[in-house]
Amino acid sequence: MSALTAKAYRELGANPYRPWPARITSITELTPKETLFELRLIDKNVRDAFEFTAGQFVELSIFGVGEAPISISSAPSKQGFIELCIRKTGSVTNAIHRMRCGDVVGLRGPFGRGFPFEKMMGHDVVLVAGGLGIAPLKSLINHIHDERHAFGKVTILLGARNPSEILFRQEFDMWRHRQDFDLIMTVDQPDSVWDGEVGLVTRLFTDLEIDPGNTYGAICGPPVMYPFVVEEMRKKDLNVDRIYVSIERRMKCGIGMCGHCAVGHQYTCIEGPVFSYWEALNLEEAL
Amino acid sequence: MIYKIIAKQAIEDLFKGLQENYDEVAGPRACGPAFVFDKLQHACELRLDYESTILPPTKYFLAPTERLMRFNRVTGESYDSEPVQTSRAIIGMHPCDINAVLLLDEIFLGDFIDPHYAAARKSTFIIGTSCMPTVGHICNAFGTDEIHRGFDLFLTDLDDRYLLSCRSVPALELVDKYLAASDPTAKDIDDFQERTKRFKDAFTFTPNMDQLPLLYGAKYNDEQLWKDVGDDCLCCGACAAVCPVCYCFDVCDKLDASGQTGLRYRSWDSCLKSEFAEVAHNHNFRPTRASRVRYRFYHKFVGNFSRQGKMLCVGCGRCMRACKVNITPARIIGALQQSQIDKEDATGDGIEKADDAE
Ligand SMILES: Cc1cc2nc3c(=O)[nH]c(=O)nc-3n(C[C@H](O)[C@H](O)[C@H](O)COP(=O)(O)OP(=O)(O)OC[C@H]3O[C@@H](n4cnc5c(N)ncnc54)[C@H](O)[C@@H]3O)c2cc1C
Ligand code: SF4
Ligand code: SF4
Ligand code: FES
Repeated sequence: MSALTAKAYRELGANPYRPWPARITSITELTPKETLFELRLIDKNVRDAFEFTAGQFVELSIFGVGEAPISISSAPSKQGFIELCIRKTGSVTNAIHRMRCGDVVGLRGPFGRGFPFEKMMGHDVVLVAGGLGIAPLKSLINHIHDERHAFGKVTILLGARNPSEILFRQEFDMWRHRQDFDLIMTVDQPDSVWDGEVGLVTRLFTDLEIDPGNTYGAICGPPVMYPFVVEEMRKKDLNVDRIYVSIERRMKCGIGMCGHCAVGHQYTCIEGPVFSYWEALNLEEAL
Repeated sequence: MIYKIIAKQAIEDLFKGLQENYDEVAGPRACGPAFVFDKLQHACELRLDYESTILPPTKYFLAPTERLMRFNRVTGESYDSEPVQTSRAIIGMHPCDINAVLLLDEIFLGDFIDPHYAAARKSTFIIGTSCMPTVGHICNAFGTDEIHRGFDLFLTDLDDRYLLSCRSVPALELVDKYLAASDPTAKDIDDFQERTKRFKDAFTFTPNMDQLPLLYGAKYNDEQLWKDVGDDCLCCGACAAVCPVCYCFDVCDKLDASGQTGLRYRSWDSCLKSEFAEVAHNHNFRPTRASRVRYRFYHKFVGNFSRQGKMLCVGCGRCMRACKVNITPARIIGALQQSQIDKEDATGDGIEKADDAE
């Protein structure tokens, strides 16, 4: 089977509403609310055909409960396993938190349009994540890490409410330590041992040097954050068509049919969830 | 296309032919003071003189609820839900409703193919019929008063006879086998042209579609305009339920009594319901009634126009009859155009025009 694209479904005459079974192979609690689930598609052919780009998402099925769109957190280069970082918010996301290793869930996808990795290659990148926004950005960061030589300066700005809510802390500490990336973390409410920055993520731009002609930006986080971060990037002369954001909408089908994910004249599940900021500015209700 | 002429009474023979060749024959029949598309047993139930129906015949392609698949909760295996598809002939679809099916094709038979929709499409034989516009029919504004494809057979009413347009091989076979049909004469063609003219002249009102998508974009953030037209919305979703081109749906799971197996199904949804665009932490992208009304028509007049090049309204007038508070396409279009005129008046452009008119 070729990659799991719309074309492949069409050629196979397959039912795009049917998920593939996947087994939970590892569960890592990141915070009391967020957990990292590692999944393995059971069918080998499907597993081998599962290719994606950072920023794309899957529809996660908990049979009998429902489906939820979840960004893929692992790098596209990670063979055979898919990682999802999931926050408890409702029926599906709570249900998977009650499951154990070896239990079976369903996956459909990958869906949507991810970050323009190839376009970013050969340039500097500035990645900004707030809260759970790190989930899709983590995939991009891992992918960049795999191909580190193909990128210039890589700056990662991470914001969280308090130190205990920083996701993937160990991994980031290690990368910072090894100086793989320029990584700066900031929290709103520091604790007694916090040695990073304090305040909003926008503050981190003050001392940042950006070469606007040679840099791409990517931002993921709560929607309220986007205009402020973009404003900082624009102050450094970065064009809005070089800044990418991931947009969240309610989704039911993931394949452009249920109408739930519409933003302006586009469907987030097809044309998004990653849009350039220039595109987002031209979509009604996007920001 | 091959054209034939049949007598009016030949409809009974046509009906018999359909019954012999299809599991079910559906068409408009009377239901109290209204009309509905329903399964028909006898030709006498068929009312080709109907003005409109409560629900559009698109319900045969996109059912109010539909099984998407069955699953085994423990193994994670899923199965295509057992096909319940019967072959069906629908007789009496108006041009607007056939146009609606063509619009749905672009959504459900696009990049991804919806297998349920595709199966229903494949097993359905469509017979269209000509109509006469009455109050609220604005198909002429969308070009959906005409239909040239999307049907197998089309019946144009020429008073004492029908002009048949045959567009498919099964349609020709049906005509050959069951109908005493003749070739159209010069008189038939004259009558057809006269009928077409009468049809076009019967529209008493056409909304001003001038620059509509552009205008919509320009007025999108005009809070007052949307409050005026949208604030009364009851969020009942009736307009979406009766619209032949509203296709949004919700998806739910249902477990069998065993708890081991279950099914996933979809059901009609409406963007006018408050939770339609709600995401985690109760964040709602369209929190007000006005914002949801604004979005519904935006999707119809601009959204799909940008994505697929066509507007998602065929002007059938059903939502006008369904809505208790008079929120209609014509009213929205009128309000947008009027606000543009008001603006021109305010900036002086309008005054010049008034002078010219003198
Ligand atoms: C492209 C995309 C990527 C996402 N990536 C992640 C991720 O990596 N990790 C993560 O934890 N979450 C992610 N989400 C959010 C996640 O999809 C929702 O939190 C989830 O659908 C809630 O489902 P539920 O069944 O648990 O909640 P429900 O019980 O259905 O509802 C709880 C709340 O969530 C809202 N909600 C319901 N369905 C959706 C939906 N489809 N999308 C958004 N909100 C919804 C409801 O309005 C309600 O307020 C992503 C969403 C999108 C659109
Ligand atoms: S919006 Fe109203 S008039 Fe237009 S197709 Fe739908 S129901 Fe008919
Ligand atoms: S526009 Fe009218 S029919 Fe549609 S949801 Fe609002 S009140 Fe109901
Ligand atoms: S999620 Fe159904 S159309 Fe995008």
